[in-house]
Amino acid sequence: MINEKYDLKKEIEIVREDCLRPTRRWGRSTQIWIGCLLIMIGWGIYCYIHQLRQGLGVTAMRNYVSWGLYISTFVFFIGISHSGTLVSAILRITKQEWRRPITRSAELLTFVSLLFGGIMPIIDLGRPDRLVNLVIFGRVQSPLMWDIISICTYFVGSSVFLFLPMIPDIALCRDRLTVCETRFDKFRKWLYTKMAIGWKGTKTQWHLLEKSMTIMTIIIIPVAVSVHTVVSYIFAMTLRPGWDSTVFGPYFVAGALYSGSAGVILGMAAFRKLYHLEKYITKRHFDLMGRIVLALTLIYAYLNLNEYWIPAYKMATSEGHLLEDLFYGSYSKLFWTLQFGTVLLPILILSIPKGRTVLMISITCIIIVIGAWVKRYVIVVPTLLHPFMPIQEVPKDWSTYFPNWVEFSITGACLAGIFLVITLFSKLFPMMAIWEVEEGLLIEHDRQLAIDIRLKREASERVINIEKLNGEKVSTEVEPIKPTVITS
Amino acid sequence: MKSIIINRYFLKKLGFTIAVSSILFNISTAQITEKRTTTIQLSFYKKANISKTIVGTVKAKNEEGKFLPAINAKVNFYLVNNNAQTFLKAAYTNKAGKANIILPENLPLDTGHCFTIAAKIENDKVFEDAVEELRYKEANLELKLAPYDTSRIAKAVLKTIGKNGEVIPVQDVEIKFYVKRLFGFMPAAEDYTLATDENGEASFTYPKDIMGDTAGILTVVARIDDNELFGNMEYQAVTAWGTVLLKEKEPFPRALWEPYAPLPLIITIAVLFGGVWFTYLIIFYSLYKIKKEKSDEQIEFEAIIKQ
Repeated sequence: MINEKYDLKKEIEIVREDCLRPTRRWGRSTQIWIGCLLIMIGWGIYCYIHQLRQGLGVTAMRNYVSWGLYISTFVFFIGISHSGTLVSAILRITKQEWRRPITRSAELLTFVSLLFGGIMPIIDLGRPDRLVNLVIFGRVQSPLMWDIISICTYFVGSSVFLFLPMIPDIALCRDRLTVCETRFDKFRKWLYTKMAIGWKGTKTQWHLLEKSMTIMTIIIIPVAVSVHTVVSYIFAMTLRPGWDSTVFGPYFVAGALYSGSAGVILGMAAFRKLYHLEKYITKRHFDLMGRIVLALTLIYAYLNLNEYWIPAYKMATSEGHLLEDLFYGSYSKLFWTLQFGTVLLPILILSIPKGRTVLMISITCIIIVIGAWVKRYVIVVPTLLHPFMPIQEVPKDWSTYFPNWVEFSITGACLAGIFLVITLFSKLFPMMAIWEVEEGLLIEHDRQLAIDIRLKREASERVINIEKLNGEKVSTEVEPIKPTVITS
Repeated sequence: MKSIIINRYFLKKLGFTIAVSSILFNISTAQITEKRTTTIQLSFYKKANISKTIVGTVKAKNEEGKFLPAINAKVNFYLVNNNAQTFLKAAYTNKAGKANIILPENLPLDTGHCFTIAAKIENDKVFEDAVEELRYKEANLELKLAPYDTSRIAKAVLKTIGKNGEVIPVQDVEIKFYVKRLFGFMPAAEDYTLATDENGEASFTYPKDIMGDTAGILTVVARIDDNELFGNMEYQAVTAWGTVLLKEKEPFPRALWEPYAPLPLIITIAVLFGGVWFTYLIIFYSLYKIKKEKSDEQIEFEAIIKQ
């Protein structure tokens, strides 16, 4: 039964206030956090300049391992970018109402991870000034070319997909920011005005927005799948032990969806705690997301088994050497820790309801995300160290690889960059799609109202029947259902 | 190739003497002891009466005792004639440790019709002083072709100046015959080296099946490499002895491994991604329409104005 004191307008106002509050406060802790991130980025830039000046020789990469930490991180970031597609697009298309408070953070994670994921291969280039040659003289037959095309396409698509549902919220920010005393407030006002693109909330604008969002929701899913499939082609279309696999496309997509969903859960947990959104991002959200991650982990585990079991059964020469190294050689500890930590452990934890509490699921997702990163490393590096032609007559350190301080610093700076963009975004724009949450409230309100009226009708019908049974005079007046007018 | 290291022993001895003296007199010897032991090698290249180049290759000893190319070392080149040295030019070594200069056309010759070039590293802050001298005899290599002769015989003639100033042929000098290609010289046959006879001549028959350009033209080359008396000499001549290169109608058929991609692949990619980008354009147009949309109040206001 709907509470008679329930005030929808007041509830909507509370939602708006809760969502806009973080954008008004730039506390000391935020400033310190941003300062730390800027220091990390500054150090990373210094290291990158050092790398540019001295060449890739300052990294631990050599002739055999020419794709090290940078390319592993690139694959990892592209994988994380699948989060927005899964949570936002798939849940939107399947009309999952509970998605509303978490779509924004998922779409943002897609945007930033793609932004920095796209930078990683450029960092891996010894001569980044020659990047333009890839566009001018690029061969359409090359998976690298497909990768550039699909990542650019996905980046534009995910930017639009993030921006579209933000328009009404940005307009709300613009309208709420009436007093601009500081220069920063003036900048914010200018930014909101430009980004709101003249949003007034007319019927036509709503119609155009909803239509555009529907189109984008449909188109972004195949684009996202294509991106990670093509990333896998870079490896799978190369004749190397460990990469010469037909399941690499779905394996990468499944791995990306699973690590991306874990990334979304971590984002949910962080924003819930930091911006006090417990009222909106509830335990139920974590439970449902936990189920999704569990399902994706099972799919990933199945493909993982296929990826290793089939070549392990055959143990063909070069493939055999690689698998020996992975199963009981120099990479065995890492490999089995990964199998246990990122496949078996999440299945065990997430299968039980107590494993899907906020704390437990957050810990599990941290393990999954770190594991997914290390997994990319295990895909890239051991294969490069096991070429078909044995490594011989080269300096000893060429036959091993572990990233050095330059690579760790630059990669760390990219990670700091991701956190910086997310922090700045969350301090400028609401981290929940306000209008979508409001819409959810209205739908819930109408649903409750409809239930209320139905119950009343059923109650009155029961009275009539009892009167009929008792032979009393029947009252035919039944309260009609009044349509609810939704106003935002 | 001649290689002379002069003064090394002397300089080492000098360095030792200075070191001992500096300890005794408390003088810093850091600059002297830090200098690197240096060697110079000289080579002479004469290109068919076009240019005479002298190349000095400088190597210096590193901390591990290995001789590596010395970069950015200043090398002074001198012409030595009757114990008198005339400064020619200075040049700095490149990454390969090479410094070269082009010699003047009319180089004064000594009584033996030779010229002597000295290369020196002098008063360098990093490298020890070093000297190398080289003496070469003036000679002339020529390649005579019979362009209309189908036998494709190239006659290389090597001549020099005799004691009395007369031109005399040079016997028993090995001449190599090549064909010029895009990135270097291709030996014209398996056995491509001939020695000059008493007339200073070496006749080489070029094979008939060497590929030329679209007109059958190729460049034939006669070379003398590292001769003790004459150094390196080269003569190039252009002739139509090559087989005609026929242009293929389609040298690279469309394939995954060729420069041109197969059409089905291009069409597939274009349709897939073109479709996505076309959809994006529709979205951008919708955004434009949202931007241009007037508010209800504006529409009402404009209606009132019209009335």
